Amino acid sequence: MTLLQVRGVTKQFVTRGEGAMAKKSTFTAVDDVSFEVELGETLAIVGESGSGKSTTARIAARLLEPTNGSVVFDGQDVTRAKGKELATFRNNVQVVFQDPFSSLNPRYTVERIITAPLSYQGIAPEGGRRAFTQELMERVGLNPDHYRRYPAQFSGGQAQRIGIARALAVNPKLVICDEAVSALDVSIQAQVLQLLMRLQRESGFSYIFIAHDLAVVRQISQRVAVMNRGRIVEVGSRDQVFGDPQDEYTKTLLAAVPRINPEWDARRRQKEAS
Amino acid sequence: MSDLFIVDDLTVTFPTSRGPVEVVKNLSFTVGRDDTLGIVGESGSGKSMTALAVLGLLPRGAQTSGSVRLDGTELLGKSERDLRAVRGNAISMVFQDPLSSLNPYYTVGLQISEMYQTHQGGSRRAAKQVAIEALERVGIPDPERRVDHYPHQFSGGQRQRVMIAMALCCSPSLLIADEPTTALDVTVQAQILELLAELQSTTGTGMIFITHDLAVISSIAQRVLVMREGDPVEYGTAEQVFSDPQHEYTRMLLDAVPRIDDEVPA
Repeated sequence: MTLLQVRGVTKQFVTRGEGAMAKKSTFTAVDDVSFEVELGETLAIVGESGSGKSTTARIAARLLEPTNGSVVFDGQDVTRAKGKELATFRNNVQVVFQDPFSSLNPRYTVERIITAPLSYQGIAPEGGRRAFTQELMERVGLNPDHYRRYPAQFSGGQAQRIGIARALAVNPKLVICDEAVSALDVSIQAQVLQLLMRLQRESGFSYIFIAHDLAVVRQISQRVAVMNRGRIVEVGSRDQVFGDPQDEYTKTLLAAVPRINPEWDARRRQKEAS
Repeated sequence: MSDLFIVDDLTVTFPTSRGPVEVVKNLSFTVGRDDTLGIVGESGSGKSMTALAVLGLLPRGAQTSGSVRLDGTELLGKSERDLRAVRGNAISMVFQDPLSSLNPYYTVGLQISEMYQTHQGGSRRAAKQVAIEALERVGIPDPERRVDHYPHQFSGGQRQRVMIAMALCCSPSLLIADEPTTALDVTVQAQILELLAELQSTTGTGMIFITHDLAVISSIAQRVLVMREGDPVEYGTAEQVFSDPQHEYTRMLLDAVPRIDDEVPA
């Protein structure tokens, strides 16, 4: 079942030119982008800085309105949705951002952070807020006894888990992760990726996974869209994009990824396997 | 391979309200001419503190013990005045964020020539010529014109090239690069790594390359030091550390690195 359709989306920003008398000009951040997300799948959008991947994510999350094109969620055109219609959409689509500390209110306790999406929707959790918070904390691998702590009392990886728990509070159908593991140390990153995959297996929602790190994308996605200068240059299954890239830019990108010397790596793994 | 740079039993301590905290503990390593040592670790491992300690750039209050010798000369305990003559001259550095290391009000040419004149003297005209040559060496096109441009007129990758040009203009014997490619896009990172390796092979500068990225270390370093919470965990040739790690922590780190070429289950 197709959950989300992004159709011919373009986003232009008005920029000021150089100098005092300069004319305004428009910058096209996203240029005629179309893709679909099936229920339960992970679509990764990869690209370098300025490729338009985050702007695309923001449009899909309705945090930005596109200049042209439309966003259809669950069969409903939500491009210009307002009021109740938009509230329903927000209930179904949640976002996890890159920097957990700047996306969690430092003055709120974990309980208040995690239940905030419910409060905005006017929903009272069954069994009370505390039990609800603790259950979610347990699901994302946090100690449920820490529900009264503040974000600053957690490490970066733990704080990101709070952000994930908050996204799951409203039982969304789509979770958009915008560089959600980029700021984490490699060992923590591996744990959070495992967590994201387990949560999806348990609940069956979809991910749009925005990242610049191709190796991370390879771990988590079923389909991959490669963006460059506002356009999708290639989209396909993970194995096709990584194993048999068609576009020149995709090839350049894949070739540039630093790799651990494969011979050394193979020797180590052989030794450890035996 | 002669040892150009020797760090012996370096310990860095910070006084805190809960007593002294050792952020670098009994660290020893050497860097030879033409040699690249990669220091790798996660956040809080002490890798950047090590760089600051050997340069005498630690925050006030920090205490160091041990020995840091460049070409036989002890650097620990040297006066600020003496250290200034070393920094940027015999030892130079490249940091992660070129935009915060460059002064936005001055042209890149002026910043490179200032560095050169401070350490090597000479006329302004000669220093500008050095700046043009330095920019050319790091692959900035049209250096005669670009030398008069300001930092914001360069892309992120070009700014890092400018930083490298500045770091190399006094022909240092040791270059310390702290996460120099971390803020860059992957295609630009590949170019900068290539540039550093090429410059090193032509100039014979020793290099300490600090990063959290094991794949980057694998592509640039001959020897590797793994750090964790201030402790040196593992130290050896890159081949040893990557193919036959002796410590559980190194193995865990290597296992955590996502691979781009692996078969992954569907």
